[in-house]
Amino acid sequence: MSISTPGGPERRPTVVSTGKKPAAGRPAAADKPAAKAGSGKAGGGKGTPRPGAGGKGRKPVAPVKVSQGRSWGPIALFVAVGVLAVGIIGVGAWAVYQGGQPWQKRAEAIDGIVDYRAKDKDLVKGGNHQAGAIKYDITPPVGGPHNQAWQNCMGDVYDAPIANEHAVHSLEHGTVWITYRPDLPADQVEKLRSKVQGKEKMMLSPFEGLDKPISLQAWGYQLKVDNADDGRIDDFIKTLRVNASIEGPNALCDQGVTATGTTPRDNLQNTMPQQPTQ
Amino acid sequence: MTAPVTTDSDLDEAPPADQGGRDAVPRYGLLAVAAALVVGLVLGYAGGLLTPTLTRPGENSAEAGFARDMTAHHNQAVAMGLLAFDQGQDPEVRQVGVDIATGQQGEIGTMQTWLRSWKLDPTGEQAPMAWMPDGAGLVKDGLMPGMATPEEMAKLRAASGREFDVLFLQMMIRHHIGGVHMIDGILDEGSDDDVLAVAQTMKNTQQNDLTNLSAALKRLGGTA
Repeated sequence: MSISTPGGPERRPTVVSTGKKPAAGRPAAADKPAAKAGSGKAGGGKGTPRPGAGGKGRKPVAPVKVSQGRSWGPIALFVAVGVLAVGIIGVGAWAVYQGGQPWQKRAEAIDGIVDYRAKDKDLVKGGNHQAGAIKYDITPPVGGPHNQAWQNCMGDVYDAPIANEHAVHSLEHGTVWITYRPDLPADQVEKLRSKVQGKEKMMLSPFEGLDKPISLQAWGYQLKVDNADDGRIDDFIKTLRVNASIEGPNALCDQGVTATGTTPRDNLQNTMPQQPTQ
Repeated sequence: MTAPVTTDSDLDEAPPADQGGRDAVPRYGLLAVAAALVVGLVLGYAGGLLTPTLTRPGENSAEAGFARDMTAHHNQAVAMGLLAFDQGQDPEVRQVGVDIATGQQGEIGTMQTWLRSWKLDPTGEQAPMAWMPDGAGLVKDGLMPGMATPEEMAKLRAASGREFDVLFLQMMIRHHIGGVHMIDGILDEGSDDDVLAVAQTMKNTQQNDLTNLSAALKRLGGTA
């Protein structure tokens, strides 16, 4: 059946032949059953209009004349559909633009943030392990070499200063480290604590010698603010926590150093709990 | 319906004068069909392109809330499991500890990948458990149901021998009960098929764990 369609008019007779001889083609015009067969064929195989045109000018084509002027219905429909399509595309594009802003762009948009990654392109490669005390140019530090052990960053709230060498390793794992000047009022510290406790990839500690009451660090980023109520704190956390990780979201925050004190611990065994004696 | 009677191929030549008008009709029809096709294709393409954007879980969806909160919840289980693997005395405690640690860390990866593919941040600004009806009330001191306090974690870290084993089992049982409660939350609230399937797997795992953890606790003479 379908094989016959590509053939067009020439082929038709052979198909029709099931009922009539090829010669019957013309007489078929008058012949009821043949006309039926022919109509089925023509309808399926397009091309109807052209042959129709040939009809010696007379008869059956005329009744087919459905559309005399313009049919506004379909036009209106197409226009409506077109407008709808453009609308959908527009809304979608807007949504994509809004939601798809990469976190780096959103970080840039935080007022007062310092992007050290822009200044040091190699920072995004992470840092090497290094034993002993390390001197950092930026205070508090935001990246660079660090101790092989990280500071525990499971939403830990430290009530005394911690070692930069461990903290920087936590930053590399995607932690936002909030530091505050030891003279920060207790109610302000409490507000910071509530942003940290119970949240992995977060830690809080006092820090001696800060030039501002509060300083937030992520790997390669820093933001200093005066007040725990500053809305940029939440922006910084939302944008950079985990996102700023050099090692992705699966980098560990537990199994690290849980002790305070600003001297790095190179012999981790001393800081870990005693192994059970077997 | 159309006028098929005139299918004769020898009649092709020279249409009569009035053909012009009639000829335009089918051509217009063809144009309309072509236009409809183009519009349809564009619509279909745009729809296909945008549907995932407009239908994937959003910033405040239950799915996103679950993925973020369960990541945090799992993180503590991983911490406890690694401690058990490291410090446990009972072989089953060590075994179950490493199983939970690696299993849940893997699930963290799955959940974080969801958030990434939904173009959402790994963490949110909503309060913990806000995605669950009555969920916020279950949070104490920023800790979701079943989670250990920093003091309890410190106590576990400092423990050893049978004391560690019993403490670990007690804490992990509580942790899992809270976890199953959160999983039930997403099974009720969620609509994303993949999230629901993974959540169901999590629930099965944790319920099996609970049976085994409870049996181990009993064997070691501890109480829940």
